This record gives sequence, C-alpha cells and structure tokens, in this order.
Amino acid sequence: MNGKLMIAGRAILQRRSLTAIVAAAFGLVAVAALAAGTQVFDPKTRKWVDYDRTKARKYYAAHNEVPEAFRPQMVKFRTAEVPGTIIIDGNQHFLYLVQPGQRAMRYGIGVGREGFGWAGIVRVGRMAEWPTWTPPAEMIARDPNAVKHAGGMPGGPDNPLGARALYLYERDQDTIYRIHGTPEPWTIGLDVSSGCIRMRNDDITDLASRVKVGAKVIVLMQGAALYKGV
Amino acid sequence: MSAKHAVRTSIRATTIGFLVGTLSACVSAPPPPPQEQMSRTKVETAPADLQLLCADAAAKASGVDSTKILPVSSSKIDPQTYQVELDAGGKKTSCLVDTEGNVKSVQPA
Repeated sequence: MNGKLMIAGRAILQRRSLTAIVAAAFGLVAVAALAAGTQVFDPKTRKWVDYDRTKARKYYAAHNEVPEAFRPQMVKFRTAEVPGTIIIDGNQHFLYLVQPGQRAMRYGIGVGREGFGWAGIVRVGRMAEWPTWTPPAEMIARDPNAVKHAGGMPGGPDNPLGARALYLYERDQDTIYRIHGTPEPWTIGLDVSSGCIRMRNDDITDLASRVKVGAKVIVLMQGAALYKGV
Repeated sequence: MSAKHAVRTSIRATTIGFLVGTLSACVSAPPPPPQEQMSRTKVETAPADLQLLCADAAAKASGVDSTKILPVSSSKIDPQTYQVELDAGGKKTSCLVDTEGNVKSVQPA
C-alpha cells in the first residue's frame, strides 16, 4: 500500500475510481479539484502572473527557489483548533501548522490535480524518514521504467516521497494519502499529484520535526464551488 | 510661423506636459501585496482560518461534533464578507464571516 496513488502521472479512469472508492471507504470526500489557476505577484513588473508548470520550472531554474509565497513563513491564523493541528488549503496551495497565539506556520504545497482532490478530517498515523516508495500496479504496467521499482524503491534523493512521509489515517486505518517530500520542488504551488500533499524536502523535514503522531489533519475542499461528494 | 502662434504652441505644450505629469502621478502602480499574500488563485475562496471559524460556529450552533463538520465551498460575496458552505454531518449549512473573523450568521442552506 505504501506510496500508492502518490505519483503525478496521467490521469486514468481506474485511478480516479480507485481514489473515489478509497475516499468513500474512509468517509472522506473526493472532489473534482477545480483548476483554480494559481497566480503569483511579480515584484519586477508589479503584476499578477499565471503560475503553471512551465513557469514554475523556469522560475525554479532561474532562482533555485520557489516563489516567496510558497516558502515557510509565520502568519496570522484565527482558529479554535489546538496548536499542532495541520490544516491543508489545497486551493491556495498552503499547509498550516497551528501555533499558539492565533498564528500558524505556513508552507507551500503541491496537491491533487483535477479529479484527484479530496477533503476530510484525518490524523497523522505514523511518520517515516526517507520512506520506501512502491509504484502502483497500473504505473508498472504502463511505464517500463517503474518495473525495476516494483518491489519498492529505497528512500533517497530521487525517491518520489522525498525526505519524510506523514501517513494519514482515518481512525486506525491507512487512507493511502500522505504528506511527503519531493525530488521536484518546482511543483510546489501546483495541482500535480494523485491526492497526496507534497512539500519541499526541507519543509517536510521541518514539519515532521514539529508534529506528533496523532496530530489532527483537516483537509479543506479544493475548488470554489464545484463539489462532488461520493 | 508667427511669434503669436509660437507662443500659443508653447503654452499648449506646457499645459499638456503639466496634465500628463499630474495624471501619471495619480495612476502610479499600486503597492505590492504583503509578503504573505504574494500568491492567489483566480477563483477567490475564503482563507482557511475563516472557513474553520465557520465550521466551529456551525458545530456550536447545531450541536454536531466538530469532527463531522467540513467546509465544502466558499466564495467572496463582497470586499468584507465570505460565504462558506458546510457539510454538518450530512446537513448543508451556510455561514457568513467577515474578513476580521467575525461570524455573522449560520443557517441551514
């Protein structure tokens, strides 16, 4: 089960169905993630510019960094949730870790692409450093390069799960969704995954050091108005 | 060109220059957003904390366990107010919250 449904690839019907079935089984809500269209403010031109995969890759190549908005920062956060709670706003591509004093540590994230969004209230069931990734069967079937990892790809800098993984559980059962690192940091701020939440390796390492197993995780709905419950 | 015409042209040019200068001073670029607001989406949703404040208010109003209440959509209805739709244990609930975090209303959708 480890690592299934976590790798960005071509959307195929079977995987969408599987995502929906899994979400339904765990009482989560699978949604059609609206292409909300990320924009970032360009300080040079002082204009808002669309931020897509191509621009994200170019930006990272030029700056060796993600745009400022997606770097960790402490922000005001008015909430009744206790410190240590994780809140995921996939629409805005932010993960918040609630801190004392109505504040939160905010990190940039990459989230599920269209058809792979979900929402629900789960918890951190366990955590792992440099986790093993096992490609799902359908990926192995279509990608000859994945065959060599069928038995599990050891953790390391090229591993799709990156430096850490927080395994999200519904009660005592693994939802198959994770918050994890990535070897593709330029994808932060985009809708790219199969439902997992990806962060820069430095950020997931920092987050993992701040949270405890059992922490509440609230995943908010992606999209402004489009809602497809299952 | 007569001296009179030259003077008129000069006055016209000075006036236009003055107006352009005044107008350009008026239409200077807006200030950049604060550091924590350097990204956005084309479809504006309520900030995460405001969505959760609505969920908390709905839990208190309905008596439903807060772990069963989840925001399912949100939108900005005016510069100071967001509308948040919630699923409260299967019941659809609508909440209005302002940008300062004050929940204005919670009622069945």
